[in-house]
Amino acid sequence: MNRREALFSLGAIAATGAAADGARAREMHGYPADMTVDPEMLPRSVIPGGQMRVLTDDADRRTVTAVFDRLIPADDLGPSASEAGCVDFLDAQLAGRFGEGAALYREKPLQQNADDLMQTAQFIATPRERYAAGLKALDAYAQETDGAAFADLQPNRQDEILKGMEDGTISLGEEIHTKAFFELMLQNAREGYFSDPIYGGNRDMAGWKLIGFPGARYDFRLYADRTGEKLDLEPVSLIPKD
Amino acid sequence: MAAMKKIVAGIAVIAVVAAAGAGIWAWRTVDTARNAGADDTVALAAFTSTDEAAIARGEYVMRTADCAACHTQGAGEFAGGYEIHTDFGTLVSSNITPDPETGIGAMTERAFFDAVRNGQGSEGLLYPAMPYTAYAKLTDQDMHDLWAYMSTVEPVSNEIDETAGMAFPYNQRLAMLGWNMLYFDKAAFDGDAEGDDRGRYLVDAGGHCSSCHTPRNGLGAEIAENYLQGAKVDGWYAPEITSNPHVGLGESSAEEVAEYLGTGTDGKAMASGPMAEAVAHSLQYLSDDDLLAMSSYLKSVPGSGVTAPAKADLGSPAMTRAALRYEVNCSACHGTRGDGMGDLVPAFDGNHALLSDDPTDLVRVMLTGARAAHTEAKPTGGGMPSFAWKFDDAQIAEVLTYIRNAWSNAGTPVEPATVAAARATLDAREKLAEGY
Repeated sequence: MNRREALFSLGAIAATGAAADGARAREMHGYPADMTVDPEMLPRSVIPGGQMRVLTDDADRRTVTAVFDRLIPADDLGPSASEAGCVDFLDAQLAGRFGEGAALYREKPLQQNADDLMQTAQFIATPRERYAAGLKALDAYAQETDGAAFADLQPNRQDEILKGMEDGTISLGEEIHTKAFFELMLQNAREGYFSDPIYGGNRDMAGWKLIGFPGARYDFRLYADRTGEKLDLEPVSLIPKD
Repeated sequence: MAAMKKIVAGIAVIAVVAAAGAGIWAWRTVDTARNAGADDTVALAAFTSTDEAAIARGEYVMRTADCAACHTQGAGEFAGGYEIHTDFGTLVSSNITPDPETGIGAMTERAFFDAVRNGQGSEGLLYPAMPYTAYAKLTDQDMHDLWAYMSTVEPVSNEIDETAGMAFPYNQRLAMLGWNMLYFDKAAFDGDAEGDDRGRYLVDAGGHCSSCHTPRNGLGAEIAENYLQGAKVDGWYAPEITSNPHVGLGESSAEEVAEYLGTGTDGKAMASGPMAEAVAHSLQYLSDDDLLAMSSYLKSVPGSGVTAPAKADLGSPAMTRAALRYEVNCSACHGTRGDGMGDLVPAFDGNHALLSDDPTDLVRVMLTGARAAHTEAKPTGGGMPSFAWKFDDAQIAEVLTYIRNAWSNAGTPVEPATVAAARATLDAREKLAEGY
């Protein structure tokens, strides 16, 4: 059933109700009978370690992996961003509607003062295009300043460059909104680390275990009155393994 | 193969019996002398009853017999076209409007009686998919009233080829003579249809409950000793509706069963699938007294010997997983204690409709979802979503075994292979890939 049919059937139900005349029995029509889930509404699973669809260039992939693993490095608390599948997550997102900027208004022309008006950076480019340009620019910057690929720099040097991007003291060039590109990568690394494992990141629910998030549960009535208690709820994925 | 042999042997029997059709047995089978009280001169197309009381009573008889369920399908009220899938091929229901060319307008009242009560239609013998085996019990009075009602139905021109979907030899209507000789009990109802035996009358005659709830033999005849003890029908399992306390109605009060029949739910069990249709098209129109008479009778019917099995071990790893799965996916609506949500969502604890040894309905509802009956009394027919995308066969089997054994329940385990077979038959989708 599409949305139009659903609305019509709701209208039919309403009409049936409005016609009530106190009859004891009446057949009700218009209830949607098909209870299978529309494939369009289902999540798209991503299996980590699969073929890259957008980040197909080795250098680009090494660069973003290096950035992600400085934003969320491996430590005693859990795996690094890339170990938790965040690059797989990012690739899947860039291959789909997020990468296309489907939810963004991207009509030209871009006003000179658009960033000020909207109080946040505005782009005609899609996130997919911004990554393609941004990662190349970041690697070119490292080659120029350090004579090596960003991924091959020492972690503390990588941190310096990332901090410079974040506070606006480093520019990756005219074409790149450097600060906004840093923020985009930080946002996507976080999303990958804490979204449901079916989307490729948060592998073995590492992110959820880290912060004690119980996952895709629907109902907490069993626990609602157990305040102040450590519940240690086992996190649950939307598509459970067992 | 055994079933096929049985069918082939049965066909041979029918052939032999039909060949002896001139015999007294056959004559007795086709004899319709009890319909002599019906008029044989005026065709339905030329007659419209003006007896308002008879028309109203006849409409009620039509509701008890649920004629519309099978004879209405898109082309207009009673204009036929509904497909009935049998083990022998697909039958299409006939046009029973008073249209003289494509409906039953050319029939006299006598011909109508012969068709409804004896399975002898205008185009030859009827197939017992039309429950004349049950309608044979309808009283003369109810038949006269039904005739009066049918005369007020709007004629619709809709040509139907009832047997186009039946291959040889099952498309031979005459073969039904042999079937009738073997299995058709055309005797009139043997009790007080308006008095003490009202419940049995409604169940056996118009209600034709046994058409779905009694198992059939290899030739499609109801097995009398398993009367109302549950049967597979068209991809569903019509559960036992006898006094059996484990899988039947033994633990429900007559009032609860009557409420279920008249509204679609008693706040615990809930009608869906073909039973939801029976409730919506037929049972919700019946009077409280009639519903109570039916439920009281059903509760008096001797049950199968099926008893509760030993409870599954809820401490096993599989049941521990299933308990978490239940809590995460099911408990929001079905309750953390399997207590449901009144008229909106069925309860599981103590819901004996859940406990049949045959789990067909539970598996089906998990795979395809289901829509509950919606009636004037309880218009919010709840919806169960499909979980085919979320769980594999073993996960569905485990969670069903869990609800059949949690709380006060005890039921046989559901096997993953049963779910796998149903997933294929129902063309339900596979589980989505896990992301890790």
